[in-house]
Amino acid sequence: MSNLASIPVLMERLRVAVHATNAPRRAALGKIVVEAGHVVVGVDDAADVVLADGDGPPGETRPVVTLGGADDDLSGVLSGDADASQIDAAIRAVAAGLVVRLPGVREREMGFGAMRESLGHALLTPREIEVLAALAEGMTNKAVARRLDISLHTVKFHVESLFRKLGARTRTEAVAKASERRRQETITL
Amino acid sequence: MPDQPDFLAQFSNALVTRAEAAKNAVVAIRLAHERHITGMLWHSGVVVASEQSLPRGDEFEFVAPGGAVMSAKIAGRDPSTNIAILRPAEPVAAPSIVAGEAHTGAIALAIGADGTGGASARLGLVNLAGPEWRSSRGGLIDRRIVLDLRLAGREEGGPVFDAAGGYLGMSTFGPRGQVIVIPAATIERVVPQLLKDGRIARGWLGVALQPVAVPDALRESADQSSGLMVMSVVEGGPAAQAGILAGDIILSVDGTSAHRLRKIARHFGADSIGRKTDLRLIRSGAVIAVQTTIAERHAA
Repeated sequence: MSNLASIPVLMERLRVAVHATNAPRRAALGKIVVEAGHVVVGVDDAADVVLADGDGPPGETRPVVTLGGADDDLSGVLSGDADASQIDAAIRAVAAGLVVRLPGVREREMGFGAMRESLGHALLTPREIEVLAALAEGMTNKAVARRLDISLHTVKFHVESLFRKLGARTRTEAVAKASERRRQETITL
Repeated sequence: MPDQPDFLAQFSNALVTRAEAAKNAVVAIRLAHERHITGMLWHSGVVVASEQSLPRGDEFEFVAPGGAVMSAKIAGRDPSTNIAILRPAEPVAAPSIVAGEAHTGAIALAIGADGTGGASARLGLVNLAGPEWRSSRGGLIDRRIVLDLRLAGREEGGPVFDAAGGYLGMSTFGPRGQVIVIPAATIERVVPQLLKDGRIARGWLGVALQPVAVPDALRESADQSSGLMVMSVVEGGPAAQAGILAGDIILSVDGTSAHRLRKIARHFGADSIGRKTDLRLIRSGAVIAVQTTIAERHAA
């Protein structure tokens, strides 16, 4: 255990139980865990985190990081081909009580929904959608004015109107709310 | 009252019996990375599953009741009603199904496949049993049934039963993780069509649209306050061929105002394919008319 000395004092060593249905996979995941400075413990031993290949072991009460698992109840969800640094980051985050999710596709949030006819809220105008796209890129009001070739005053007017229509207080919130709206409202013909 | 049967134990035993019986109705459809979703044996030769959660592919392995691993080919999928059907390579005995009726407040038992030939169970209420609705993909769903229970991803697609053991439909996820049911009546209607053609024919223009407010300056010439802005155009699709551009705002389709989405959806049924359709739209500040020919929607 000579390599233990090389682990920085501040780096937390976590006890990780590795759950995989086949031995080579278990060995490969164990190697990643050890190389990240953690300790692999038996599935039934005291562990800080369970790293599960695929869906987690049923009835597991410890925080689980799944690789490719589909259970939304789990603390950590990574893709099946997550790399070593992602696995390490997820293990640490989940042990610290955080929730880890993949960016992008959140199918469950979209789900199978209804076509909405009366939306019950004020629709955005095409110009507001353009302004919003610029805000999403992190542009300042000045940059937005230049891009859309409108006055700074007009940009401020549109931003205020966006905040009002979306019920947002910050630019980030406006972008997030608009993107959620767009997901819900987009129809394909 | 020692001779009184314990009501709670009876209730629990009844649920165990139901779950035990339902075990023979579910299969685990295997996906990549040791994941699975649930399918239901509609009859011995057909498995019904949730279309939105079934990856693309022609053939899937599945675990039949009891644990036998078999293969099944996709026989059809309909994103508009979220129904996919698979045909097992050899018939699997399927329990008989008696349709139930959803009532708000009634008990609902959702069954999933555990991946090894057994079942998992979830109990909740029918949170809401409402009228028919149209999905954002244009399909007609015979009833709105929302459940008050949690469901794991691997349980999606399993059958939902009422207290009498009647079949309410297939469990699936609605927006924001809400658990909803595709009613038995919808499955009964769609499965025979899928078996026959492999798909539900629908009209298609090849555009993604988002409702927008018509700018004040154009309200008068547009004669309406809202429209559908074209967010993207599918390359080579009918809309692209007609020269429709991202940013155009569709005001009406064959005279039907664009805010009447459900009426427009009806407009794109199977009989619409090949028909010419007139679009009124705003482009560069002017209202113009464009004609295009409705094509057939292919699997998404």
